[in-house]
Amino acid sequence: MINTTILSWVTFIYFAAFVFYLFRMILGREFWGKLATWTALAGLVAQSVALIIRWKTSYDLGMGHAPLSNFYESLIFFAWTIVLLYLLMEWRLKNRSIGVFVLPVAFLIMAYASIAPGISNRIEPLIPALQSNWLTSHVLTCFMGYAAFTVAFGLGIMFFVKKATGENSSKTSIFIRRLPSEYQMDELMYSSTALGFIFLTLGIVTGSVWAHYAWGSYWSWDPKETWSLITWLTYAVMLHARQVRGWRGQRMAVMAIVGFGCVLFTYLGVNFLPSLHSYMT
Amino acid sequence: MTKNKSGIWSFFSSVQLAIVLLSLIAFFALIGTLVPQREAAVELAGRMSPGLFSFLQKMQIFDLYHSIWFFLLMGLLTVNLLICSLDRFPMAWRRFRLRPSPQNENAFKDCPRENTIHTSMDIQKAADIVADILKKRYRRFDRKDEDKGVFLCADKGRFSLFSVYIVHLSFLVLIIGAIIGAVFGIEAYVNITEGEMVNAVNLRNDNQSLPLPFSVRCDKFAVELYESGAPKTFQSDLTFLKDNQVIRQGKLLVNHPIEHEGFRFYQSSYGVAPGGKATLALLRDGGRRDVINVGAGYTFELPGKEGTFHVLRMEENLMKMGPAIKVVVRSKKEEVSFWVFQQIEKILETNPDIIQQVPIFNPGLFRPYTFTLVGLEEKYYTGLQVTRDPGTPVVAAAALLLICGLMLVLFSYARQVWIRIDRDKDEVRISIVGRSAKNKAGLEREIQYLLRELKDNLENAK
Repeated sequence: MINTTILSWVTFIYFAAFVFYLFRMILGREFWGKLATWTALAGLVAQSVALIIRWKTSYDLGMGHAPLSNFYESLIFFAWTIVLLYLLMEWRLKNRSIGVFVLPVAFLIMAYASIAPGISNRIEPLIPALQSNWLTSHVLTCFMGYAAFTVAFGLGIMFFVKKATGENSSKTSIFIRRLPSEYQMDELMYSSTALGFIFLTLGIVTGSVWAHYAWGSYWSWDPKETWSLITWLTYAVMLHARQVRGWRGQRMAVMAIVGFGCVLFTYLGVNFLPSLHSYMT
Repeated sequence: MTKNKSGIWSFFSSVQLAIVLLSLIAFFALIGTLVPQREAAVELAGRMSPGLFSFLQKMQIFDLYHSIWFFLLMGLLTVNLLICSLDRFPMAWRRFRLRPSPQNENAFKDCPRENTIHTSMDIQKAADIVADILKKRYRRFDRKDEDKGVFLCADKGRFSLFSVYIVHLSFLVLIIGAIIGAVFGIEAYVNITEGEMVNAVNLRNDNQSLPLPFSVRCDKFAVELYESGAPKTFQSDLTFLKDNQVIRQGKLLVNHPIEHEGFRFYQSSYGVAPGGKATLALLRDGGRRDVINVGAGYTFELPGKEGTFHVLRMEENLMKMGPAIKVVVRSKKEEVSFWVFQQIEKILETNPDIIQQVPIFNPGLFRPYTFTLVGLEEKYYTGLQVTRDPGTPVVAAAALLLICGLMLVLFSYARQVWIRIDRDKDEVRISIVGRSAKNKAGLEREIQYLLRELKDNLENAK
């Protein structure tokens, strides 16, 4: 199918964008940064086109649903939201140094979607439980949240990379010197976490509304629900600790990484537990 | 607030406690996803020593989310939240009521040189220009003319002081909604066989029967499949009756519950009910053909009295080869058991050797008869989830409040700006400082903007 062909190309485009961001950091020339941004943007546009084609194809096949219905589609959409959110942040903040930590995540997710065994990239009809208008809003808000947390995670890793190599001196490599200051990283981590928190809250709320219509209860302690709550509580602790206890820098970075672990478990790990949310296969 | 608060008060008003409680709740929730809960725990009982199992059961480890531990944590968090908010609210209220005074010498102590502008303009004239700029951007604005100079101040976003209380309030509303649901709500299920009627449902927590103020009949249950074999729709046609009068009819689908007199019905499962019928044709060598209707468990004597015929099982789709029934024929000499398919010709077409390979698929295994399945009509039951939760609207209100509150907490901010115009040697000096608890970067941008705007306007005024 044409959409999967485009999507496998997008995987390589994101890899190229990552390499260009890396060149920018190592060679220190803004030319590579601009090239990286445009490459990532081209990838995003191509991916959007592929998603729209996939959407249309599903209508042509008589199934008619947004491309958010199985594991393959959710991975692709996850990568899409990550790149979208990253490019928006880059444009708003006029800072390209996060790209080198965020783009590889998008690339890996895309690669995993096309390489991993047992992931079907076919367009499948919706099973009765997924035939709901809430599918799109629930998945959209959840993945926007996941993407924002991914950016915060990238910043957390970046924070430790900078910390591990020591203070600014003539000896530190140009790569480290081009990273934002610890203060800036902390602020960015906070902003992306706050954004992710709003979206996660919206995701949980839309999910419970949907559950109210599909399963008969707005909350039934299904493992996926419970893990989304665990993730929510983790970030709630992080935000409280910052606002009221004044946690900054390293502690924020630790929380961003721990929180991302919860996000991954909510997204992937839960599938190893019996759940009403088993739409993976 | 007085300083000498009691120990309990300061314990419950601390944010550390909130952080610890949130972490503990997260940890408990985590355990609950790893240890099988409720019905799933029964399986564990077999693999565990009975003593340990009953101990864990007493500790409510297998029903963590409804355990005393979990309620205790929730209760503590509620108290913590309440006391925390009560403790801090008066201060927020005072800060809300307090209009920032234009005269704030302390604020200017750390005013960096970059945030000052020098001009040769007259003090009053410069102050008017500053006032015009501030008035354009801020609704609340104050000015004081002193001998030393002119002091101006402006602020916005005072309401964001309360945003955190909206979030905390939403949690309290949520708890109230959950309690209403737990006390007055019910969670039940019922299986209704096609054509039958029920007037009671089974409660999930203690499996007791709860009579309904009306009756429900399932007229028909249907599964529609996609070509791939995946389910497309599950549908129950329900009729609601009161005093044998039909009061309502409706189609129940997954994602489309039916609400009736406060009870919500959900399509949750289905299955094959006993009581299906199969039509069987018997062909005896020599030409005699009999057609007979049978059900599972049905026994009859063969027309030539060669033995008895017993129906064991009925399958709607055996090994993807269509409808089939399993029968056993007992005679004095032997007992043979075999499957009778409906689409035997089609099966033989695609796989001519199947009868040689799998003798129990041979419909002529009992001589001198050949059996054919003419039709199979199965009876289904529909599995319905039945709930009533008067707390749901309260929880929905809490969710709405939570989202609004969070938006305000994370994206709104209070900001105050002070501007002093005084004499510095023989020039007039304008200094700008600001204060913002949440948005320092935004404040910095704002001050830069004001400086730029001010420089431009002073230039133009000359």
